[in-house]
Amino acid sequence: MTTDKHRQDAQPAFVLHTYPYLETSLVIETFTQNFGRVPLVAKGARRPRSALRGSLMAFQPLQISWAGKSELKTLHKVEWQGGQPFLQGMSLICGFYLNELLVRLLHRDDPHEQLFLYYQQTLAALSTQKDYTPVLRHFEQRMLQELGYALILSHDVESSKPISSDQEYCYKIEYGPVSLKKGSNGSGLKITGKTLLDMDQDDYSDAVTRQQSKALIRYILNHYLGDQPLHTRQLLKDLQQL
Amino acid sequence: MKIPISLEDLTESLRCLPGVGPKSAQRMAYHLLQRDHIGAQRLANALTRALEHIKHCEMCNNFTEEAVCEFCRSERRDSGLLCVVEMPADLMMMEQAQCYRGMYFVLMGRLSPLDGIGPREIHLERLLKRAQDGLVQEVVLATNFTMEGEATAHYISELLHTRGVRVTRIARGLPVGGELEHVDSGTLAQAVLERREI
Ligand SMILES: [Zn+2]
Repeated sequence: MTTDKHRQDAQPAFVLHTYPYLETSLVIETFTQNFGRVPLVAKGARRPRSALRGSLMAFQPLQISWAGKSELKTLHKVEWQGGQPFLQGMSLICGFYLNELLVRLLHRDDPHEQLFLYYQQTLAALSTQKDYTPVLRHFEQRMLQELGYALILSHDVESSKPISSDQEYCYKIEYGPVSLKKGSNGSGLKITGKTLLDMDQDDYSDAVTRQQSKALIRYILNHYLGDQPLHTRQLLKDLQQL
Repeated sequence: MKIPISLEDLTESLRCLPGVGPKSAQRMAYHLLQRDHIGAQRLANALTRALEHIKHCEMCNNFTEEAVCEFCRSERRDSGLLCVVEMPADLMMMEQAQCYRGMYFVLMGRLSPLDGIGPREIHLERLLKRAQDGLVQEVVLATNFTMEGEATAHYISELLHTRGVRVTRIARGLPVGGELEHVDSGTLAQAVLERREI
């Protein structure tokens, strides 16, 4: 073992995205358990017979080793961990959605060990469950929480009273739900108490809850994503409209 | 010393080529101007001519100088089969393998949501129209076995299924003549997952 901080061995990681770099290399955006999002250069990975190629697959648990002192470090070794079924069809598109969220919202070299574990669990759930909505909503909530933007779903942030199922609320960004009084119209998203409570319980069996929770998450994510929309959202929308 | 504007412009223009950074662009520019004037002139002419004459075939979307390419005009191909590939190079490989006698559609790319390449960027509307010409009986998806190629195949198959078109996907597995000992883990894992009865 080495104590050199410029060198890391056998780190649990996922590949989030790759893109061409110079003539024969790739830049790999990795999500590592202990160091967060780390961009690495995979030298020669685009050569036809590169041994790295078949192993650098997104959505598969890997162990990777890298070294380097600059911002863009060099990937040295990839070991396939296995055990994660391949994502196919709609679950694959959902996987791309998770990756786009992480690439857009995680800062480089900012560790999020808990989020890494949630991500791994979510990939497993996507490959086995037919209904993707609860899986995605659950991950989005956990991700927001890990990034420090946790949703408040249990109480009215002004009165501190518990959320009541048959009340209407207005959800304000970076604030929380406020009971909607007659005639008030501040900025925020209108949402029922039942939806907030269902989300708190991870219960997405109700059609109104599904529709309202999607709107709430989108409203909040848009705030943190800024002007650039998520590309995978359009794909998901297209496929669901079929 | 100040670099002449036209030289700077040339260097800058060369950088639009994939994998060409400022250093290699400068090297190319110097080479063309200093050592290979004739080559440079030919390149300039060829580029102008290609830009003027090359367009996409109305049927297969591949590059051609005519409205419909020679390939799509051929009467010796099976018009009931339509094979979808990502790039012209993939079509060439399919032809080299001499295993397929149908028609083609070249996407000129793949869905790559994280790079901002969506359905609109890869001519999917034209593919849908082409697949429903009344002659096509089966669409064979031969996009790459990358995650992006797989997503593209899924997306196209969903669109075509709802329109009642039969869709197949080429199979994957170990290379012919390949030995388990030398194959990468991803390929082997997928081959075991997709094993079949014999
Ligand atoms: Zn053609």
